[in-house]
Amino acid sequence: MAVEKKHFVCVVCPVGCEIDVVHDGSEIISMGGNKCEKSEEFVTQELIEPMRILTTTVRIQGSKWPVIPVRTDKAVPKRLFPRVMKRLGRTKLQAPVNMLDVVVRDVLHTGANIIATRTMPRE
Amino acid sequence: MMEVDVAVIGSGPAGLTAALHAHKSGARKVLLLEREEELGGILKQCIHNGFGLEQFKQDYTGPEYAERLIKELEKTDVECFLNTLVTDLSSDRVITALSPEHGAIEIRAKSVVLAMGCRERTRPSVGIPGTRPAGIFTAGVAQRFVNIDGYLPGKRIVILGSGDIGLIMARRLTLEGARVIGVYEIMSYPGGLKRNIVQCLNDFDIPLQLSHTVTDIRGKERVEGVVISKVDSNLHAVGGTEQSIECDTLLLSVGLIPENELSKKAGVELSGTTKGPVTTEIMETSVPGIFSCGNVSTVFDLVDYVAQTGASAGTFAAGYASGNLGVNRQSVDVVAGENVRLVFPQRYGFQDDLVLFIRAAEPVEKPVIIEVAPPGSKVNRLYARPNEMLRVKVPKEKLAEVKQSIKVSIREK
Repeated sequence: MAVEKKHFVCVVCPVGCEIDVVHDGSEIISMGGNKCEKSEEFVTQELIEPMRILTTTVRIQGSKWPVIPVRTDKAVPKRLFPRVMKRLGRTKLQAPVNMLDVVVRDVLHTGANIIATRTMPRE
Repeated sequence: MMEVDVAVIGSGPAGLTAALHAHKSGARKVLLLEREEELGGILKQCIHNGFGLEQFKQDYTGPEYAERLIKELEKTDVECFLNTLVTDLSSDRVITALSPEHGAIEIRAKSVVLAMGCRERTRPSVGIPGTRPAGIFTAGVAQRFVNIDGYLPGKRIVILGSGDIGLIMARRLTLEGARVIGVYEIMSYPGGLKRNIVQCLNDFDIPLQLSHTVTDIRGKERVEGVVISKVDSNLHAVGGTEQSIECDTLLLSVGLIPENELSKKAGVELSGTTKGPVTTEIMETSVPGIFSCGNVSTVFDLVDYVAQTGASAGTFAAGYASGNLGVNRQSVDVVAGENVRLVFPQRYGFQDDLVLFIRAAEPVEKPVIIEVAPPGSKVNRLYARPNEMLRVKVPKEKLAEVKQSIKVSIREK
């Protein structure tokens, strides 16, 4: 891949360094604007595949509320968010559910589980 | 009349932490009053992560953070009254409350912790011209609709104001399939934290336009569109810059105001800057035995800060209830100096370390020195931004000899 310039805002800590990176698609050739070394790992991962925790809700029956908050138990590729959302649109839980219960195992073969982030008693 | 050692009003992060710490500090009878049907306050609808990074070294979502505190509370004998609305508080600490279960009750508390949090500024508070159709919500109300009640407030959404809740909702609504057209901020800098700008807007290609505001709302029954205008340095709309945007929903994320109706009834002195009670470093208000913490005191950026003030309020409320705090206590003012918009707490009472929460007036994107004088403490920071509260701790020993007011300033290094 050809050499490219890209701009990032590092989110490793609250400082939020504005970083200009010259890269060849997967490897950093040079970078500037960062105030510490932690940015390097972040930028490298961003170049390969931006990973994020997804937090959302799924439908639930038999409880006080019609939805229950959930999240992935580790970061998943950001580009898969729409597909994970679509997958979770088909999920309907039954109360009771405990916090950290696995709602969907290995969602879209990412290796991440979808887990409940609150306890929802049966009503 | 019911009698308790410490009564805590509100069970969000501040109230939960205060109740726990009052219990830990030896208060025998602690009562937590919550007007909703569940404990946890606004954390219940903040389903995103980023909570408790400092306090628990964990990246919790709001509900997980709340549940952790609630589980800790369940191990204690702290009593919780749910569905209980406090309607009055007197300066001698008698609480009047209403609940379906207990009826109209009066509670005499040896000390009281105010932890009612804040509420959102609305359309009238920012004065947007135009019609009055359905489809205009504060960001927090939209958050409640989506995350707790399970429905979308609209499909084509414009967000006015770049406060954190607005940014979080831009991402949340996009994930749920709505189209967020843009976030418009009247100031020349964002209102929310930088990490939220990146992870909520940039990640989803949602544009942020600074120095822009909504100057008209169109639509009869439902919002049909808004007009966006550029503003000049005096925040006045610039003629000729109007752009019309079709949308069915306008979300407002234009600031939070501490909710102090009860504080006023108790005669607690409020600050014109923070809009919350004037307190000392132990979170005691101007009325002895009444403490306040969290967003009812001043609007904090991070739940960790809220919890820190809650811990302090709970601990010293227990101390007051047991008579361990003296009656004739001295205190000095803590005042905002150069480039400081607000500083919290506003007084120092020589009981504990002074943990200052400071908001800069103007952004400084280069190294700064925060000076606290007396005693002349200097702390370095890489920058000072109005949207990111600074926190500085001055140990109690350094302050023992202080006689006059303490001034806090931010200067370029």
